[in-house]
Amino acid sequence: MSNATKDPIVRGALAHPDVTRLDDVNRDVLKVLATPGKGWWALFSLASLGLVVFFTSWGWQLYRGIGVTGLNSPVGWGVYITTFVFWVGIAHSGTLISAILFLFRAPWRQAIYRAAEAMTVFAVMTAGLFPLIHVGRLWHAYWLIPYPNSRFLWPNFKSPLVWDVFAITTYFTVSATFFYLGTIPDIAAARDRATGLRKKLYQVISMGWRGTDQQWHHFGKAYIFLAALATPLVLSVHSVVSWDFAVSIVPGWHTTIFAPYFVAGAIYSGVAMVITLVVPIRKVFGLEAYLTTKHFDAMAKLCLLTSMIVGYAYMSEFFMAWYSGEEIERTAFWNRLFGTYWWATWIMLTCNMFVPIMLWFKRVRYSIPALFVISIFVNIGMWFERYVIVVTSLHHEYEPFAWGIYRPSLTEMGILLGSFCWFSFWFLLFTRLLPPIAIQELKEVLPPPMRKQKEAHS
Amino acid sequence: MSQSGGLLASYEYLDSTVDAIEQLKKAGFKGVKAYSPYPDHHIEHALGYDQSPVRVWTLVGGLTGTATGFAFTTWTSVDWPLVVGGKPIVSIPAYIIIAFELTILFGALATLIGLFILSRLPDLRPAVVYDPEFTAGRYGVYVQAEGGRLDEARNILNGQEPIELREGEGGANV
Amino acid sequence: MTDGIKRRDFLKVLGVTGASATLTGCSEPERLLPYVVAPEEITPGVATWYTTVCGGCSAQCGMWVRTREGRAVKVEGNPNHPVSRGGLCSKGHATLQHLYNPDRFHGPMIREGDRLRQGTWDEAEQLLAAQITATGNVMFIGGRMGPSMSNLVDEFVAAVNGTRIEYDAVSDAPLREAARITYGATGLPSYDIANARLLLSFGNDFIETGSSPVAHNKGLAQMSAVDAAGSKGRFVYLGPRLSTTGLNADEWYPIRPGSEAAVALGMAAVIADDAGAAGPYADVLRAYSPAVAAQAAGVSEDSIRELAERFASESPTLAMGPGVGGHHRNATAANIAVMILNHVAGNVGRTVHYDAAVSAATGAYAEMESAVSAMAAGQVGVAIVHGANPAYSMPAASGFVEAFSQAAFKVSFASAMDETAALADLILPDRHFLEAWGDSMPRSDVVALQQPVMQPVPHFDSKSAGDVLLATSVHLGNDFGATTFYDFMRNGHMEMHDDSVGDFETSWRLALRTGAVEHDMGTTAAPSQLQAPDVALSFDAPALDLGGDLTLLVHPSPRFGGGEFSNSPWLQELPDPVSKITWHSWLEMNGTTAEERGIREGDIVRVTSPHGEVEVPVWIYPGIREDAVALAMGGGHTNMGRWANGSGVNALALLPSESEQPSGAMLTLATSVTVTPTGERRRIATIEGSSDQHDRPIAPAVALADLGHVEEAEHDEGHAEFQELQGVGGFVPVPSEGGAATAFPLEGSRHGPYAESHDLPRWAMAIDLDKCTGCSACVTACQAENNVPWVGEEQVMMGRDMNWVRIERYIEHMDATQAGDLDVRMLPMICQHCANAPCEPVCPVFATYHTPEGVNAQIYNRCVGTRYCANNCPYKVRVFNWYRYMDDVPEPMNWQWNPDVTIRTNGVMEKCSFCMQRIRDVENRAALEDGRAINDGEIVPACEQSCPAEAIVFGNIRDENSRVSQVVSSERTYRVLDELLNTQPAVHYLRKVTFHEIASGGHD
Repeated sequence: MSNATKDPIVRGALAHPDVTRLDDVNRDVLKVLATPGKGWWALFSLASLGLVVFFTSWGWQLYRGIGVTGLNSPVGWGVYITTFVFWVGIAHSGTLISAILFLFRAPWRQAIYRAAEAMTVFAVMTAGLFPLIHVGRLWHAYWLIPYPNSRFLWPNFKSPLVWDVFAITTYFTVSATFFYLGTIPDIAAARDRATGLRKKLYQVISMGWRGTDQQWHHFGKAYIFLAALATPLVLSVHSVVSWDFAVSIVPGWHTTIFAPYFVAGAIYSGVAMVITLVVPIRKVFGLEAYLTTKHFDAMAKLCLLTSMIVGYAYMSEFFMAWYSGEEIERTAFWNRLFGTYWWATWIMLTCNMFVPIMLWFKRVRYSIPALFVISIFVNIGMWFERYVIVVTSLHHEYEPFAWGIYRPSLTEMGILLGSFCWFSFWFLLFTRLLPPIAIQELKEVLPPPMRKQKEAHS
Repeated sequence: MSQSGGLLASYEYLDSTVDAIEQLKKAGFKGVKAYSPYPDHHIEHALGYDQSPVRVWTLVGGLTGTATGFAFTTWTSVDWPLVVGGKPIVSIPAYIIIAFELTILFGALATLIGLFILSRLPDLRPAVVYDPEFTAGRYGVYVQAEGGRLDEARNILNGQEPIELREGEGGANV
Repeated sequence: MTDGIKRRDFLKVLGVTGASATLTGCSEPERLLPYVVAPEEITPGVATWYTTVCGGCSAQCGMWVRTREGRAVKVEGNPNHPVSRGGLCSKGHATLQHLYNPDRFHGPMIREGDRLRQGTWDEAEQLLAAQITATGNVMFIGGRMGPSMSNLVDEFVAAVNGTRIEYDAVSDAPLREAARITYGATGLPSYDIANARLLLSFGNDFIETGSSPVAHNKGLAQMSAVDAAGSKGRFVYLGPRLSTTGLNADEWYPIRPGSEAAVALGMAAVIADDAGAAGPYADVLRAYSPAVAAQAAGVSEDSIRELAERFASESPTLAMGPGVGGHHRNATAANIAVMILNHVAGNVGRTVHYDAAVSAATGAYAEMESAVSAMAAGQVGVAIVHGANPAYSMPAASGFVEAFSQAAFKVSFASAMDETAALADLILPDRHFLEAWGDSMPRSDVVALQQPVMQPVPHFDSKSAGDVLLATSVHLGNDFGATTFYDFMRNGHMEMHDDSVGDFETSWRLALRTGAVEHDMGTTAAPSQLQAPDVALSFDAPALDLGGDLTLLVHPSPRFGGGEFSNSPWLQELPDPVSKITWHSWLEMNGTTAEERGIREGDIVRVTSPHGEVEVPVWIYPGIREDAVALAMGGGHTNMGRWANGSGVNALALLPSESEQPSGAMLTLATSVTVTPTGERRRIATIEGSSDQHDRPIAPAVALADLGHVEEAEHDEGHAEFQELQGVGGFVPVPSEGGAATAFPLEGSRHGPYAESHDLPRWAMAIDLDKCTGCSACVTACQAENNVPWVGEEQVMMGRDMNWVRIERYIEHMDATQAGDLDVRMLPMICQHCANAPCEPVCPVFATYHTPEGVNAQIYNRCVGTRYCANNCPYKVRVFNWYRYMDDVPEPMNWQWNPDVTIRTNGVMEKCSFCMQRIRDVENRAALEDGRAINDGEIVPACEQSCPAEAIVFGNIRDENSRVSQVVSSERTYRVLDELLNTQPAVHYLRKVTFHEIASGGHD
């Protein structure tokens, strides 16, 4: 064999003998878009079923009132806000992998970033629903948007919730743009293989991309700038979300470390979710050649790092609560560990701090089943982290006489479950319609075909 | 047989493509266009590109965002001043966040628009001077040969053993 | 944007002109002029006020009624009433819900077989007359009623030569009997609590039940207030269980149930230098000593001796004998013992008065027993029940229900269905007291007139019992010189009238306007000598029916009384002042007792007495003896109305059907019980999170000895720097350097409307925790004024109660050797209207913001319901509309709604507004009266108006002479959590003053 096979190993990404020619990539990746198999249909109908649950629960809540939740005074925020923060967190790794790792030229990102970005976009779409589900009067939620109303009363820009509106919409727009931009050449590639209606569709979506030198030139530059803009955005969005809590005076929320702590947690959960999603894709679509153990190893390491940051944040929170000597703060954190919701806290600590310790072992990092299981644990743990922050802090606040207990209702559970189906619904559609792996970037990784080498060998 | 027209050659190899371009350039051909399945700096170098003006769009967009962010928040606060939590009517620290988000948003959108304008997208006209293989594995070189230099161009392109060479009167109908 | 500003200016103008419309034709005093029916005088949008008398209970407090468009929408205490002197209890407020109770009868009901059909009044009266002539043997069972009505009934009964039985479930018969025996008095003694320096209550819950709870509540507050000399009266409670009254005690001696007589006499023995002081009771006195008392009561001899010495020295003192909750088999003797104690301590004529006898519910249960046996023996033809519900309020063991059904023809005057009416053959729905004429004699020298304040609620074809009796008499061919009860009553008063004091018409109108007139009865020589008992008395501990190892204490509920108030959602949802539990019943049990039996709070237990059993959840309460359990009356209605039915259990099921001798009162403390867990549990519908302050600066107290040094104490904890921080808030009355009051408008608010707001008032409130008794009247008053919905038991259990006022009952502990060690802190928590309100900046849509007048405003129609403000409120005073609660309010209950206050919809946050509608009302009126200044005290929020203890003061803190500024300048002033969070609340609290050193929850 030629150095075409050795070369890639040097270039870090692909080491599969089958992939030697540029159009092999098209062959392997575009076949994913062919008619779906049983597995896909099974998953898709499951997701659609979940959507029914989702919208029925929401409809019921709109019809009866927010009272169908378990929320009360003092616990005014519960599963909805928890899940909102959870999905926003998930959304982070996508842009992290595509933008930040792009700027750092991390060799292993090409294979996974498309899926990760898609995940980002859909996760934000999911997260964005929760503030709407949560508010008492959905039909007035648009009042948070700055528009000149009849009294010229504008939103309160001092409110973290308005910051959220800006942060989340910006994040959605930018990551969607970024996602779309990166897809254009690949859609063009799909177009050139497709026929009939699909061809027309792809032609439109790809905006008639031809891959001329001029297009590639501006494309490359634009891509870098977008990456440069998206990078601080990723870091800011979850900081802003964390300020929903940190800016308040609730003991357990009012903490300075929240921004970095939340960002780390977001990346942590995001990467875990990428693993959870990519493992089945790899299997179902036979992309072993592209999603190699190298990639999983890299993601596992990222998980390990962020899990340690998160763990550190937990510890420092407990330490500061004790060290501050502030009685109310102490009570709050003591209550977290041993109060009514001790179980949630311990689930959080186990899943996010203890389980990932296994990632120190190479054998675990290289075992895809093991990673899959661990990633599930992390997803659960990260959801409970937000639950702990939201609920345990609220149910025991300053006024002991007004302390209370919160028990999530069936409706809330239905919506929580439904949100996963809503997400899967879009993600499954994505695997059918768009190349789940960045074709053109993989080609950059491949050694370009050289006549001179050919002659040298022949 | 007329002496001018458009030629579209598609190559299997990168180096042959680059060579073809360089020779055409040396021969002083204008309107040389290259196609490739991925952005390749060899080709860009051969065509002698410099910085893309997209960055200007990004910069202007971003700055507009920052300005809008601060101006809008401040104006709305002063337009109907309501005291909340004993905080100043105009609380700059809070508004920094809005300004920041708008910086990113406007910057990103401006970049996208800039890209589309500069690279002539969208362009949904049926692609004539094009070969579907360009998105798969092949490279393409198109040259508009004027003033009866068609043969010369053909020779240069053929010199690099193209897989296919298409030729059309005036290039329009290639 | 200029357009926007114009818009707002326009609205300002609109506001004022609207107000001018509001104010035409109403000027304060004339508004109190009476009229019965004069719709043409009603100006839409203008409130019309009437004076009347509360018919809720035997106290008959003076009442002002606010009507809008001919509907009564709010009742308030009448400050001119000589007995109640302003203020009103929760029950009084809730009488409005009985007026608009959707379960009232729609007309006279006539039994046909086992169902009732609605008939006409004429038909009903004919039927009654016919039955009386046919069967005869009329028995009239009547509850408490005014003198005129009472006369009418007497005349009626006499005319048909029937018998009349007086019956009141919750009565003071033993006290009255004791007063008769010892002093030959005709009524109850009247107490001058305010002037006592040491007050002893032997299980007398005088701020909940008894002759005049509101007046006594006021008296207690005045007594315990610190005077200029820096001293305050001391309140000692002797009894097995701390009631709401008891929670206000400075000392608690948890004496054995039924040992009151022994303790009182033991103390008297110490005080009286020789037993002869006790006159005819000398040998009784000889038989007792602190030792004997200690033996009986289970407290140390020294404590009794020491208490007795104080009782003698700290004169004037006052002791009150066991009330309804303590009616055991020797209750009369116990009351006599206490009277002897007062006698030897020389309190008679100073703090206890037997001349101005207080009329009160005194119907003797013994009479009912005879009535029951008569009915059972079939000697009763027509049994008429009025103003009583014996089928519920008599112990099941009495057999009333069976006996009643023996009567040939049963008539009820109940205006709404109750357990007794359910058995009747004919129901003649009486009018609510707000729809009818009547009168009352709360004290022998006071006559108060009860006048109708509105047309009868049209949904219900009711007729006043007086008119019915008169009409029936006509059918019977009798004539009482009047065709309507109004005439009958007026004639009566005209006869009584003494022309020397001026013509009748004038005094009549005066009485109607002010609500009551005091007749100078001349100084009847106050009986001062004890008379020898004319009946056999035993001062020993009463016998108990042996049903188990725990003594059962049954007491009237502060919310439901004896059960007659149960069908009011306001009262059902009002947290019990002691347990903070709503709706259902609970069994109070001491923690130690529960632990021994392995019972946890919320466990449902079976309580078994020799007379019956009930199943009820347990609530752990440190304020009760370990050998006793307590159960409140008023629960377990089976046939009263949608809100009462099935809520709680009826404690009377456990009691024997027996009357105390000689008074004939119903026994409430008569049996011991067994408590066995059923194995089931339930969530308690309580609003209490934790009764422990966790040593947070929420309800601190200060020892009397430390008064005068509080300031230093605070400076030690760096209070000075907080003073500087107050520059932002501007809620500090005296402009000190860094001058808070002058530092308004707020920092950073230099642009916009706040800039020129220096002359605006700064609304603030002061609440004196030393006066607050936790009676919870303000809670219901607020609910009535502000259209606060009730949410139901399920919702309360989920933590969704919506009351704007939450009376927090924190339990601290003191170092106590003999006495109980509870140090209870009552704290009414409302929106603190913080200057640095944490709730405001977090709202994304400006639904809550700070008005230039310093009020934390909540704009309901702007709220989108993110609930962030509630999360960020450290006081947790914001409540959320989880459902459309108001949609469930049935006609005509919604007639009570205050037209000046928005009905909040689903998904909206709400909270105390400082009664903004009242502020605006006064401001607008002042603006129209040549823009005059608003007088201090002109604006009175509902809670302040209703507070019997006068613990709440509202006003403009910018004005250094305003009452609120004066009160707040006290050294006891503090603001909840302010030193921690710098929230700068507008609500100031004055620390509770204790006699003991603060052991916990001090923060000083």
